[in-house]
Amino acid sequence: MPKLTGLERILTTLKHQEPDRVPHFELLIDKKVRDAIMHDTNASYADFIDYMDIDAIMVFDKTMTWTYETVDAARNIKRDQWGGLVRFTTTDLGHPMGGAIKSEKDLDTYVPPDPDDSWRYDELGRLVKRFKGQRAIIAHCSDIFDIGKESFLGDVAYFKAMIKNPDLIDRVNEIITNYELRFFRNCFEVGADAVLVSGDWAMTKGPMVSHELTKRFIAPPFKKIVELCHSYGKPCLKHSDGNIWPIIDLFLGTGVDGLHPIDPMAGMDMADAKARIGDKVCLMGNVSCAFSLVTGTTEEVRQETKEVIRKAGKGGGLICMSSNSIHSGVKPENYVAMIDAIKEYGKYPLDWIKG
Amino acid sequence: MVNLNEVSNAVIEGDEAATLELVKKALGEGIPARKVLDEGLIPGIHKVGDLFESGEYFLPELLVSGEAMSKAVELLEPVLSKSNVPSADKYLIGTVQGDVHDIGKNITIMMLKANGWEVTDLGVDISPKEFCSAVEKGDYDILGLSALLTMTMPAAAETIEALKGAGLRDKVKIMVGGAPTTQEWADKIGADGYAPDAPSAVKIAAALVGES
Repeated sequence: MPKLTGLERILTTLKHQEPDRVPHFELLIDKKVRDAIMHDTNASYADFIDYMDIDAIMVFDKTMTWTYETVDAARNIKRDQWGGLVRFTTTDLGHPMGGAIKSEKDLDTYVPPDPDDSWRYDELGRLVKRFKGQRAIIAHCSDIFDIGKESFLGDVAYFKAMIKNPDLIDRVNEIITNYELRFFRNCFEVGADAVLVSGDWAMTKGPMVSHELTKRFIAPPFKKIVELCHSYGKPCLKHSDGNIWPIIDLFLGTGVDGLHPIDPMAGMDMADAKARIGDKVCLMGNVSCAFSLVTGTTEEVRQETKEVIRKAGKGGGLICMSSNSIHSGVKPENYVAMIDAIKEYGKYPLDWIKG
Repeated sequence: MVNLNEVSNAVIEGDEAATLELVKKALGEGIPARKVLDEGLIPGIHKVGDLFESGEYFLPELLVSGEAMSKAVELLEPVLSKSNVPSADKYLIGTVQGDVHDIGKNITIMMLKANGWEVTDLGVDISPKEFCSAVEKGDYDILGLSALLTMTMPAAAETIEALKGAGLRDKVKIMVGGAPTTQEWADKIGADGYAPDAPSAVKIAAALVGES
């Protein structure tokens, strides 16, 4: 097979066909890790994608398309564009400290951010200019559950409102969904090739909320995004940590094209996932960024990557990725070992796999 | 006469109004506050923990029931403090340095308080030095370290090492927990107890102070 571009590689595997090799990209790659690999602190994220020949580049909402207003410079606390307070510590992403909405009355005067602000698409436009047709350009948003919990109500209030005040959750969901549908429509107009929606629906043990509440509140807004993507002929991918088996029907019912990360910390296994849902959805994951990529040797990472490909690579439908992201604790040499292993073992037709 | 099983059921249902009404009625009927707590509220919240562990309840149900319980305990507190009841065990808790996630910690606090613990919450992003200072100044039975991110797990180990260095390690039992943590890791860093979630934290805490 001739060498494919990163975009072709990803689109082929999403159609459950075998590309030239198993594709790879990451939701986030920490700057410290990137700099250590490139030995260059001035190189950009896009430069790193080129340097490591990664198949897709993410336009991450919180770091590339949101606004923040400083509230407490000393403690590095900022107000995000939805009104939620976030604190920045050791990572590129802020951590939620309090929601914008204290009572339902606050929603009556709430003014959401404007997804039609042209500057939001500046970085996407630059990446389209640089990578269009060569690498998949993936627009990202956090989902209604994530933003609703973290930026609007705070997680405890959000969970309680799901039982005590469902109308409030519906109103918050509608505000966020309207923003995201317009945001993604604009991304497609600018040139995005695919969409990835993050936001965990589960924890290690199982879903955060019951099947009934997931079906009532969380899945329908995401389904609208999937339908929008498909109306543009674009794939839609979903990230959720945790054990998602008890609600897998709700994920699949949205028509989602890929699921990330098939969380090994939650006991999810690639071979099991391939057997159960591998014909319905592309599997994305799941080299451990909790263990092997952080504390393992390069050989352990190589073997774990090979194992992921062995379990789920046949027939396409696999994007080999970490089990969450390349965070600041990942050893740079281990991430390099993972990419090298994908390029070594991921060449189709994967004849080295028996059976 | 209020049947204290009804109080338990109101907590299990997460019905705050019914819980408070029944507790007030029970007190009005002269049922001792300690009995309302021990035979009504605590069995209710224990059942909620069991339902969470068995996968029948999820975070919303846990939180709504926990809130009903907490409000009822607030109602009982003035009466309990006047009566001759044994002082509560003391729990110091915080999220480790570099980590500002607090939902797991907050749910654990709620469940501990609901089970009669006196809890001091240091907050989030707490340095080993701050933990040491709090342990030194206070008189706590257990120190709980919450780590919600893979990358902040090492901070829990550093905190335990700092306590050792300051000669404070044996002053408290140490529990660890949080989404990415495991029993194996807890053993490795020298914690006394590990809890994968809030309801189990309550059970482990009770076991560590010999009340299980």
